[in-house]
Amino acid sequence: MPPIPLEEFLSLLPEGFLLTAGMLLLIVSSIGKGVTSRTATVVTVLSLALTAVLLVWIGVESGARPILAGMFIVDGYAFFWKLLLILATGLTAIVSCRFVEEGGYRAGEFFSLLMLAATGMLLMASGFNLLSIWISLELMALSSYILAGYFKLETRSNEAAIKYFVLGALSSGILLYGISLVYGATGTVGLEGVASALPAAAQTKPTLIAIGWLLMAIGLFFKVAAVPFHIWTPDVYVGAPTPVTAFLAVCSKAASFAILVRIFFVALPGLRVDWQIVTAAVAALTMIWGNLAALTQKNVKRMLAYSSIAHAGYVLMGVLAFSEDGLWAVLFYMLAYSLITLGTFGTVVLLERKEYAGERYEDYAGLARRAPLLAAMMLLFMLALTGIPPTGGFFGKVYLFAAAVEAGWTWVAVIGVLMSAVSLYYYLGIVVQMYFKEADDDTPAPLAAPGLVVAIGFCALATLLLGVWPEPLVEFAKSSLLPIL
Amino acid sequence: MFDWIHNIPILSVVTYLPLVGALLILFMNKESGGSIRRFATLVAFVDFLISLPLWFEFERTGELFQFRESASWIPSIGVRYEFGIDGISLLLVLLTTLLGVISFLSSWSAIGEREKEYYIFMLLLQTGMLGVFMAMDFFLFYVFWEVMLVPMYFLIGIWGGPRKLYAAIKFFLYTLVGSVVMLLGVLALYFYNSSGLLGFEGLGNPRTFAILQFHEISALIPPSMQWWIFLAFFVGFAIKVPMFPFHTWLPDAHVEAPTAGSVILAGVLLKMGTYGFVRFSLPILPEGTRALLPWMVALSLIGIIYGALVAMAQKDMKKLVAYSSVSHLGFVMLGIFALNSAGLNGGILQMINHGLSTGALFLLVGVIYERRHTRMIADYGGLSSKMPLFATVFLIITMASIGLPTLNGFVGEFTILVGAFSRTWWWALVGAIGIVLGAAYMLWMFQRVFFGPLDNPDNEDLEDLNKRELLYLMPLVILCFWIGLYPKPFFAILEKPVDYIVRRVDADYAANVDVAAVTAPAEVSE
Repeated sequence: MPPIPLEEFLSLLPEGFLLTAGMLLLIVSSIGKGVTSRTATVVTVLSLALTAVLLVWIGVESGARPILAGMFIVDGYAFFWKLLLILATGLTAIVSCRFVEEGGYRAGEFFSLLMLAATGMLLMASGFNLLSIWISLELMALSSYILAGYFKLETRSNEAAIKYFVLGALSSGILLYGISLVYGATGTVGLEGVASALPAAAQTKPTLIAIGWLLMAIGLFFKVAAVPFHIWTPDVYVGAPTPVTAFLAVCSKAASFAILVRIFFVALPGLRVDWQIVTAAVAALTMIWGNLAALTQKNVKRMLAYSSIAHAGYVLMGVLAFSEDGLWAVLFYMLAYSLITLGTFGTVVLLERKEYAGERYEDYAGLARRAPLLAAMMLLFMLALTGIPPTGGFFGKVYLFAAAVEAGWTWVAVIGVLMSAVSLYYYLGIVVQMYFKEADDDTPAPLAAPGLVVAIGFCALATLLLGVWPEPLVEFAKSSLLPIL
Repeated sequence: MFDWIHNIPILSVVTYLPLVGALLILFMNKESGGSIRRFATLVAFVDFLISLPLWFEFERTGELFQFRESASWIPSIGVRYEFGIDGISLLLVLLTTLLGVISFLSSWSAIGEREKEYYIFMLLLQTGMLGVFMAMDFFLFYVFWEVMLVPMYFLIGIWGGPRKLYAAIKFFLYTLVGSVVMLLGVLALYFYNSSGLLGFEGLGNPRTFAILQFHEISALIPPSMQWWIFLAFFVGFAIKVPMFPFHTWLPDAHVEAPTAGSVILAGVLLKMGTYGFVRFSLPILPEGTRALLPWMVALSLIGIIYGALVAMAQKDMKKLVAYSSVSHLGFVMLGIFALNSAGLNGGILQMINHGLSTGALFLLVGVIYERRHTRMIADYGGLSSKMPLFATVFLIITMASIGLPTLNGFVGEFTILVGAFSRTWWWALVGAIGIVLGAAYMLWMFQRVFFGPLDNPDNEDLEDLNKRELLYLMPLVILCFWIGLYPKPFFAILEKPVDYIVRRVDADYAANVDVAAVTAPAEVSE
């Protein structure tokens, strides 16, 4: 094997930097009293910003470039996801600041775990080999398990962490087992190698291939929380500290979609017909069950958990189209969804208190009077999640539906549009409280957290901007596609 | 005199002026309700004034679509920002801006709380509705169509009656379900025009949502596909109209909405559905239209009779007017689906007529409700002695609504019947029965409210119409007489677009009859 040139390591500089920053923060915070939540937030946001700068500085050369003997790849597709993940992690850090402070736990560890998880995600976006993808996934997952249980004195948080760990480990195991079977059949774990060995292997070892890719798909569906592999989601989302819930619903889901699409599109195009059918069924089930279950929830966080399941269903619609239009729709939608969801969870955090306050629908009563701007932004997020113009959520959904119709999956699109009409009902549940009901004495007042309000405002503005002028993001997404074979 | 409107993007100005007004109100102090309502009304009034020159400058014999604006919006999927109006849009735009001012004026005394939000939502609603009638890009149309739901939802939900929450969510959900299904139809058209879908080979044209392009390819769309797309559009538009059996949201929404909301709902929002049929379903899907014609007409006729019968049974005035809308809109649909020039002319004119007379009826019910806080017919009686002016206006509007000659309703209904008759005689017969029923429930209500002894002591001190109320009712009364006595200018402005649609949807008919000459019924009624 020829020696690996230094530039190839340089290509992973952003990830390396973020990893170092996370470790340093961990070390510094374990000395003496550690760092305050604010300091840690500032350090995290700055580190992420610098990572983004490095990422842009390295840039994307024309065409994709596998590095480190094909373990990773530097391409536009990874670039898009990385920017998305950095942005979303940065916003999560800002959302977390006040929350961690109130919780009274050591702040440094929380934020260093956030950065380590983010490192794993960035590597996932670049992963070009089933094993490097799996290891990156584990870096993200292990950090996330701890984050979910970060409020260690709260039973709910513990419960969330244990459930998340057990089911997450199970799904990782399934994924790994699938990978091993595919390796057994094809003799390689490189994505391109798998793709080229697949036709022959499908002839000689059809059963092995079939079980292998199905197990891989199940593992991935677990990670993006698609029905029927979603059972872990509601409990984990409700029990985890709210900023961590946001992190799981946005960043973890986005990174999982990045590898799901990469594996399906690059490694398994030969099995396209099979995985399209399976994905169609999963997408339909996810949209139906996610939305119907969300209808009946009394707890806002739980409702948002089911809603995030439903949204995974919409995104899967773009995946199963297996077309350029479908792919950039997925990219567009995930970015819009990330901003909207982070804004929503940010608002939840503002209202959150001990003892479940801020998680009941009634806690939003009269918000339009008490905090008109906050209520207006929350209204915008709810409309965006439903897919009402002029919001980024509307265009995202239209693009996904269009891709599904174009690819001939009209029945999935029909389910999608009907279910997004259903979703209006539970999203409006919050709007009804904010605008039509009056607050009583128990209703929590929003926290005074200027940084957080600015972050929510940023999400709101971006949501609105994407709804009025989506073109730049569409162009960016279109320049970040994978080759469709 | 109005040349200047050719030099500015007049349609955009008319559409976005209310939006700008709403943004300005955001910065006003919410305690100063008086200045907010004056400012909002001023914005609506200025908007109306700016839209008026369109009537004078629109060339009746010129291009089909005029005052066109075109700009790139989302080139990656071929969406353009395209505005333009033909005669049909022109009338609906003017109706919208006029009813806008009127409903703002009527809100002054009716809305006492959260005025700032109220006027913001009202102005946003104006922008949404105007955009719907002007958009020439299907995608743009869809955006406005959906945007408009949000302010209406709030208007019903915050300032509505006792069951406002239920009515608001029902309205929103019904319309949203309809519009998302319609969106799939639009997408199918879009892909058929370009790359193809579902085994149909596409036409290979550049991707676009331009409505006129869809008109162009109407003959090339295979019948089976037309059928499906027609159904998808039907769900969207029929819920909005609303056609029987999709009408159940209407009584709830109309009854619970505040007066101004009901006026806008009945006057403008329902027209968006019929407008959709005229603008999209008929010219783009002629085969589909003809294939499903019997069903459409059947639903229209059922709507006419059913709406009238249910209206007759109502004890609540507002509910009665609401159900009368179901009946009247059935009439409009009957005219449209006569697919001939008389029917379409009548149907479109009746859209305007219904906006004027039903808008006025809701205003009148609002006037009496503000004084007595009841809408039950049984609570009234003998009002004509206490409120002579009110009774007179009410009578005129009642007559307009039931189609008495010299008033607008007659012209519209008569023309529709002519159109329906020349298709199939018994369609017209059922329609005529509907008119009789309409006269029955309206006159019966009028009689019970205004005649007889004034035996309810609560009605002793009722005050007659004040100046503001007269001010906003007068334009409607005048227009009712104008259209009733001299409808020619209205038919003249509709001639070209109707001719265009008839030729597209029913080429045989258009070939056999000189379409332009069939504005004859209009001459008769003059």
